[in-house]
Amino acid sequence: MDNLLEFAKGPLFRLTFAIMILGLIRMVGLAIMNGLEAKKLASDTTIAKKYVRKLTFGFILPIRAFRTRPLYAAVSILFHIGLLITPVFLFDHSLLFDRAVNFSLMDISLSKESADMLTMLTIISGILLVIMRAATKTSRFLSRRQDFVWPLLIVVPFISGFICANAAMSPDGYNAAILVHILSAELIFIILPFSKIAHCVLLPFSQWITARSWKFIAKGPEDVVIALNKEGKPL
Amino acid sequence: MKAILTDVTKCIGCAACVTACKETNNLDKGKPREWQKSDGLSSDNWTSVLRKNDTYIRKQCRHCLEPACESVCPVGALHRTESGAVVYDEDKCLGCRYCMMACPYGIPRYEWDSPVPYIRKCIMCHDNIAAGIIDQPACTNICPTQATIYGNRDDLIKEAKRRIKSDPKYLDHIYGETEVGGTNVIYITSKDEKLDFLTYYTNRLGDPEKKYGYPDITQSIPETTKIAMKSVPPAFLGMGAIMTGAYWIVQRRMKIEKANKDANKVNNDKNNEVGNG
Amino acid sequence: MDRISKAKSVLWIILGIAGAVGITRFIFGLGVTTNLTDNTPWGFWIGFDVMGGVALAAGGFVIAAINYIFGNERMHPISRAAILTAFLGYIAVAVGLLFDLGLPWNIWHMMVFWNPHSPLFEVGWCVMLYLSILFLEFAPVILEKWPERKLLAKIHAMLEKVKIPIVIVGIMLSTLHQSSLGSLFLAMPFKLHPIWYTPILPVIFFVSAICLGLTMVMVEGLATSYLYKKEEHPYVLNTLRKSAIVMLLIYAALRFGDIFYRGADKLLFTGTASILFWLEISFTLIIPLIIFSTKGINKKVSWMFVGAFSGVFGIVMNRLNVGGIAHVNNIAESATFYLPSFTEITISAGVVSGAVLIFFYFIENFNVWEEKPVDGTLEVKSIPKFSSNKVYLGSTKVTNRIKFSFFFVIAFGVTFASISGSTIENKGIEEVKVTKARGGDTLIIDGNRDGFAVTFKHEFHKSKNIECGSCHHMNKPGDKSTGCYECHSGMYSEGDGFKHDWHSSSAGAGQSCFKCHDQNVSKGKGFIKSIKKAKDLCLECHEDMFVKNSNIDKYETFKTASYADAMHGLCVNCHEETLKTDSTLKRLKPNLANCSNCHKDDYELKVKQMRGKKLMNKSVILP
Repeated sequence: MDNLLEFAKGPLFRLTFAIMILGLIRMVGLAIMNGLEAKKLASDTTIAKKYVRKLTFGFILPIRAFRTRPLYAAVSILFHIGLLITPVFLFDHSLLFDRAVNFSLMDISLSKESADMLTMLTIISGILLVIMRAATKTSRFLSRRQDFVWPLLIVVPFISGFICANAAMSPDGYNAAILVHILSAELIFIILPFSKIAHCVLLPFSQWITARSWKFIAKGPEDVVIALNKEGKPL
Repeated sequence: MKAILTDVTKCIGCAACVTACKETNNLDKGKPREWQKSDGLSSDNWTSVLRKNDTYIRKQCRHCLEPACESVCPVGALHRTESGAVVYDEDKCLGCRYCMMACPYGIPRYEWDSPVPYIRKCIMCHDNIAAGIIDQPACTNICPTQATIYGNRDDLIKEAKRRIKSDPKYLDHIYGETEVGGTNVIYITSKDEKLDFLTYYTNRLGDPEKKYGYPDITQSIPETTKIAMKSVPPAFLGMGAIMTGAYWIVQRRMKIEKANKDANKVNNDKNNEVGNG
Repeated sequence: MDRISKAKSVLWIILGIAGAVGITRFIFGLGVTTNLTDNTPWGFWIGFDVMGGVALAAGGFVIAAINYIFGNERMHPISRAAILTAFLGYIAVAVGLLFDLGLPWNIWHMMVFWNPHSPLFEVGWCVMLYLSILFLEFAPVILEKWPERKLLAKIHAMLEKVKIPIVIVGIMLSTLHQSSLGSLFLAMPFKLHPIWYTPILPVIFFVSAICLGLTMVMVEGLATSYLYKKEEHPYVLNTLRKSAIVMLLIYAALRFGDIFYRGADKLLFTGTASILFWLEISFTLIIPLIIFSTKGINKKVSWMFVGAFSGVFGIVMNRLNVGGIAHVNNIAESATFYLPSFTEITISAGVVSGAVLIFFYFIENFNVWEEKPVDGTLEVKSIPKFSSNKVYLGSTKVTNRIKFSFFFVIAFGVTFASISGSTIENKGIEEVKVTKARGGDTLIIDGNRDGFAVTFKHEFHKSKNIECGSCHHMNKPGDKSTGCYECHSGMYSEGDGFKHDWHSSSAGAGQSCFKCHDQNVSKGKGFIKSIKKAKDLCLECHEDMFVKNSNIDKYETFKTASYADAMHGLCVNCHEETLKTDSTLKRLKPNLANCSNCHKDDYELKVKQMRGKKLMNKSVILP
């Protein structure tokens, strides 16, 4: 148990963290490069810039979504706030960082009460999101299986972390809980850049890519005509 | 020009000089690390006392009259001051470690454990003496038996000669008087204990008489590269001249060839015409 | 995957590994990440990356001379590739040098602070200038890609006009620094082994660089034609082979002539140096000359590759030997014989891979060859079946990009996880464990671990009314006399005296952090220290931990001192009176971590009496 914990804290953490950071950078790089590539190939290189901008900001700050589905939008925003702020500004994490690299956000870390509150908020809103997705017919139809798994997986480290911080228990129980906490978080780290959670960095590019890529490539129609052996024939 | 004379026969191995050096230069306590040599010098130890049989030999930078480190440093971070000390300017250094490679005594040490490493070696307490804080290096100042003394180089060589003459126990050789162009840290020793003064010179190859093309032991290191460095401009210009000449000749030849070919062609054509006609 | 994609995948993986290793090198410094020592300050990076790299890039000026100066137009097909190799080679040299330099951010100092006496200064300047010349030589390849842009076309035309002067200046500069790399080692007459040290080292370096240039162009040409499935020009290959034979014979004559002239031939069959020498010679001269001059096999591409590669390997080995391996200090002191570490080799490999990848990029996107390589994968043999589970990724370019970057990220992560960590920080400190010395009346304290020790008699000290608390301050729970080594475990490294993990485990009563640390200080750095003094805290549970009347009031919970430091405090504090009277000891006090500095004879006497001749038995428990 202790060895496993040491391994999860040390090499495994470094591995997953490095892959997450680099993987996210890679995603951004690929998005930009592929977008530019698409521009090179396209016959029509114009895009509706205004519309792309509007949609992008609309996704980053979903104010408009309040008009259509206010409850879903609110829960979603709360979930994201808890998700981002709690792990980064938690005091215990700052302490670990401080020991490892002698740099941390310790001075602006959360107090225990607010951290607990945010954690509870994240857990509840995460579960609510899954329920809401399942409850509405349209979103259920559009969802894949993984869409239900990701929010639940993300909630796991929050639950185990909350238990570790608050419940009084035997050292063995504590170790087991902290192991679940660490391993589940590392699982998220490592799949993050290779799954749809990568939207955390790809969101600003998604609309631009869509607008860039959905074009006919230059000379595309002619190639089709040639391939079908219908050159010179009327369509 | 100031110098240090170390009389090996007088040293009792108390290592007071090591301690004084550390205090004066604010050196760290230091830990034994894998990359250190066994002679006790390190980036935190600028002088050390080695025990060899029953004698103690103090090791430190020799402060050469024509220092190898000064001549090879590409940015001139090491230079010899007027007082004779060879000092180091860490603001200039770029960390190539050529000085460590070139030093015939293997003296400069590196801060291997630091991400921002500098070269470290004895500087004869130059900064402190120049600032007037002390009037002689910490090591010579503290030596309880006067085994290591500080003074003008000429006086010290005279003193060394006097000692050698006065007592038959001394070996009739002043280490550092002529070796590698002469040094400012000179040694005299007893007949029983010859010094391993130039660490890498004769002793390691077993046959001191054979020179294998090595320069003379009295020749300073800057001399060894001088010929090569002096032949740089002629080599540069010579190569340019050869290449330009070659290009000119080749081009000319090709032109002539081409002209010949054309002429031949014309001739052939003419011949053909004549033949036809 | 086709050949080139496989090769690129491997190169990207190497690049990933090297990236992680490179970061470690800059965080932790050179000492713990390399095998360089004070004895061998130059190693693989100088020998291979810098000296080998510069020599490997010699193909640039050799081919430029053959092609442009001597007017051999039939060599033209490889001239651009050779110049590109040289250009990338020099960039690789610069990048490799950045890892080797202790203060790489100061590399520009060479331009500002001049020391013209230094061969290295000259090499540095020549390399900088030649790099710019190579850029000018190669620039037309880039510029011709956009003939419609007027400014670029103008520059292109101008460069074409001054092509010959540029080539000539390039050759002049190459001559200088190829030979000056040899001059570097003229300054080490007492270190470089006499087989290699010679006053004509610069000439030998220059000639061998030409040999290496020719063989390297062969290797590079053959390798790229294999990867891109392209035919190598038989005329070019034959010319290179013939010139290589001539140059290698000249090199052999120079080398052996020099050795015999200096009388160093007596050393050719003795010691480690001779093994290095003959390995070098067989790779450089024997194997290539046999392969190149034997009829039949010298037409076969695979054999030619072996011969050329062997030549390259041999001359790079020569650079490594001169650069640090065949130095008297390295060979003679067998204990410190330098072999490059994993870190050094990976970073060099990474730099080379990066250069090769850029080389491939230029070959695929510019007219380095007379025609661009055909991308075989672009030909669609059959119309792919549509599958809803698979995402169509578009061209091979896009799929490759995704694949290679994935390999890079994974390789980087795995390497980073396995090498970086707290253990690497303590690397390089001699691992000296403190041995058991408890239970007896007389202890032998070997403070230096050098075989000389002080004897410490408990009875004697007790008889002088010295209490246990003078030395002992803490016992483990339930223990009566915990040995010093149990907390001060390493000789030179600090330890974690208080086992945090143990106390939070069930065996250690499962205490939470807030037992000792204040819950309210959960902000700010005050958390590192506990709320109360460790002494009071521990006493709450362990009443028997503290030795009565202890003189030592330092109770650290985070880190204990090293054993040497602890001993220093213990012995010296009490023997201060002696220190005051003994002038030598007084001065030595800061160095007194090691009692045995002075108490050498003591040990020899007592132990001889007690233990007979087993003087060096370091783990001693005496009755």
